[in-house]
Amino acid sequence: MKDNKATKLIRTVWGKLGVWLIAILLFAVMSAASDKFLTASNLINVVRQVAVTGIVALGATFVVTSGEIDLSQGGVVCLAGCFCAHLMMNVGMNPWIASIITILLSVVAFIFLGSIVAYLDVPSFIATLGFNYVLSGLVLLLTNSKAITGLPESFTKIARGYIFNDSIPIVAIILLVLYAFGAYVQRYRVFGRNVAIVGENRQAAQLSGINVRLIKVLAFAVGGACSALAGIVLAARLGSGQPSSGSDSSLMALAAVYVGGASKSSVINTLAGTLIIGMINNGLNLIGLNAAFKEIILGTIIVAAVILDIVRSKRAESHIVK
Amino acid sequence: MKDRDILLRMEGISKSFPGVKALSDFSMDVYKGEVLSLMGGNGAGKSTLMKILSGAYRKDSGTIVFDGVTTEIGNPRVAEDLGISIIYQELNLLPSLTVAENIYIGRHPKTKTGNVAWRKMNRMAQEHLDALGIDLKAEDPVGTLSIARQQMVEIVKAVSRDSKLVIMDEPTSSLTDKEIKVLFQIIRTLKKKGVSIIFITHRLDEIFEISDRVTIMRDGQFVDTKDIKDITKAELITKMIGREMSKQFPERDVEIGEELLRVEDLSDGVKVSDISFTLHKGEVLGFAGLVGSGRTETMHTIFGSRKRKKGRVYLHGKQIDTSTPKKSIRNGIGLLTENRKTEGLVLPISVRENVVMVALDKVLSGGNIDRRKETKYSNDYVDALNIKTPSIEQKVMYLSGGNQQKVVLSKWLMSDSEVIIMDEPTRGIDVGAKKEIYDIINDMASQGKGIIVVSSESEEVMGICDRIIVMCEGRITGELKKEEFSQERIAALSVNETGTNRGITL
Repeated sequence: MKDNKATKLIRTVWGKLGVWLIAILLFAVMSAASDKFLTASNLINVVRQVAVTGIVALGATFVVTSGEIDLSQGGVVCLAGCFCAHLMMNVGMNPWIASIITILLSVVAFIFLGSIVAYLDVPSFIATLGFNYVLSGLVLLLTNSKAITGLPESFTKIARGYIFNDSIPIVAIILLVLYAFGAYVQRYRVFGRNVAIVGENRQAAQLSGINVRLIKVLAFAVGGACSALAGIVLAARLGSGQPSSGSDSSLMALAAVYVGGASKSSVINTLAGTLIIGMINNGLNLIGLNAAFKEIILGTIIVAAVILDIVRSKRAESHIVK
Repeated sequence: MKDRDILLRMEGISKSFPGVKALSDFSMDVYKGEVLSLMGGNGAGKSTLMKILSGAYRKDSGTIVFDGVTTEIGNPRVAEDLGISIIYQELNLLPSLTVAENIYIGRHPKTKTGNVAWRKMNRMAQEHLDALGIDLKAEDPVGTLSIARQQMVEIVKAVSRDSKLVIMDEPTSSLTDKEIKVLFQIIRTLKKKGVSIIFITHRLDEIFEISDRVTIMRDGQFVDTKDIKDITKAELITKMIGREMSKQFPERDVEIGEELLRVEDLSDGVKVSDISFTLHKGEVLGFAGLVGSGRTETMHTIFGSRKRKKGRVYLHGKQIDTSTPKKSIRNGIGLLTENRKTEGLVLPISVRENVVMVALDKVLSGGNIDRRKETKYSNDYVDALNIKTPSIEQKVMYLSGGNQQKVVLSKWLMSDSEVIIMDEPTRGIDVGAKKEIYDIINDMASQGKGIIVVSSESEEVMGICDRIIVMCEGRITGELKKEEFSQERIAALSVNETGTNRGITL
């Protein structure tokens, strides 16, 4: 194939930036299309909107990279929010302690769930689907189907508060710190490396002395921690534990992971995926599009992202010099 | 037999794959109503031939005349319509369906309204079963049947299609003596009905028991066809190997040291029985035998990637725990598996990440992966083993087979394995790269490592090993010292008499 300079440049940029290029292009298009998009208050809004999905998606990245899928994260988001609210309002716990207990419990539950997948070889799709139903039931039992309201301001400021002269939302900081940490684990820790190896080739991993089952359990534990934290942030934003909210976040998170990089997911790409979904949501809101269209467009983008990824890897293969 | 009718005539059949000539100018005849055994070592081209007859592969050149008509078998459907059936080693039945459903799969008899005519189908299936004297009910679900009985279902399936030629690929490999007798009875019944059978097996006794003629092939070429009464076992073995050794193997002048590894009484209860042997420092020990003789399973049992029933492993005279790959690796054992792409490498990631995969702790700095150390190690191995890759960041899937194998070797070298087990290390690798792999094996041995090489090419084992152990049906059937090496002896020890573990002495 003959390459002129322009296509070469595009290829290099695309190779380096990948899905971030799409995020940047989308950002530019949105800024041009709507004068309301590129304002501080709107951008802050975007970040706040994607925070919950973003945190869940971070956990989902590790699960997906390990070669599994987790459909129970939405259930955890919902239960964690309600449970944390319950600990604060009905037990009278300090918000910090309540949050830490919630996260720890979720990690324990996911070690259990991960073990069912990894040690009993139950397909994760089924195991987590079932677990999600259990969680939904627990939410109803815990809350009696009523919201737990009146959460203290010291708690809600996690999601509503600002720092640095009220300019940056705390939740944006949380999101960035978590992603930075996630990217660090993926790139520099043995665990991160082994998760990817297990996900790509389980047999080779095992024959190379990697404890495949343990890695999978730990990946689920990471997913559990992230989901619980996302649930806490959600409760803080709503100011209450809502028995109905957050349950769709498994699928939203998976969408972010797949838009970010279907065949080779990485933490950094997931962040791009999260932002792309956030910007599209926001942009369509600004245009004032019917909510029904939003879902259709979002769905189309997810499938398109995967197709694009497949085309890209096929082209990469056809470029091999034999 | 010249007066008998020819059912199948293959003339000048050739088939090449990139880098390999699987069949060259191969010709053979199959008469109506005969059992023709097809004999040849590993890689002789038997399966290629079968796949051409079944329409799975297309021949490059040559003609096939079936039942008097020149035919092109372009796809499996054509083979089926002609009346050619193949019974593979791996059976292709659907376990949850009944015997009758499996027999008539894809061509169920139908009622006038287009529904499946269940009663008719069951009756027809039962008639076929009874005609062959098979004690099976058409309504039985296949999943509950033994392998032998499932195989019979496959045979009935072939018969019910009015097959004129049934090809059986090592049909006895997973059967007991009693089941083999039943199978042979069925084969004789088929013969009487005028069906021709191509019977592929490694077991000499069976060839002499069941076949009318035997065709021997080697390296994709026709060697000879004989009436079974005109040939002896010894002649058959000689014809199967007979070829000169080439000079592509490095000189071995390594000092063999003290005992390094000792395996005692190793069994997995299925494919590995009572394996005991020792390996010394600087020694290259070969494991020869036919495909399926249990060598791969033995290695996996030693390494801990296969469940063991009994047995002990000693390193430097001390018993070690090798119950999982992780423990074996910690004890200094590495296994280069026969399936490099599925078990040895992680294809979609870089050379660097693959090389450091086993010994990741060597590239850590303060608990973090140190990219500089990683790069240095990978570059060192790329240089030392002459791995041809544009950079260490190249994905392994884009490397050639030989270079991929060197990446796997780097893994085990970097993890400082004292014992390196290599299962078919040169499979699918071109001649030049083979030589390089042999040199690396030699180097590793001269560094005092102990090397086990499992190989189905007897030339190769003889060329690079100091000692050869031969296995057959999960057991060690013999051990040959360097001065005792000969292809005849290896072949004789590899082909055992059915059901026993005695080697054939020539």
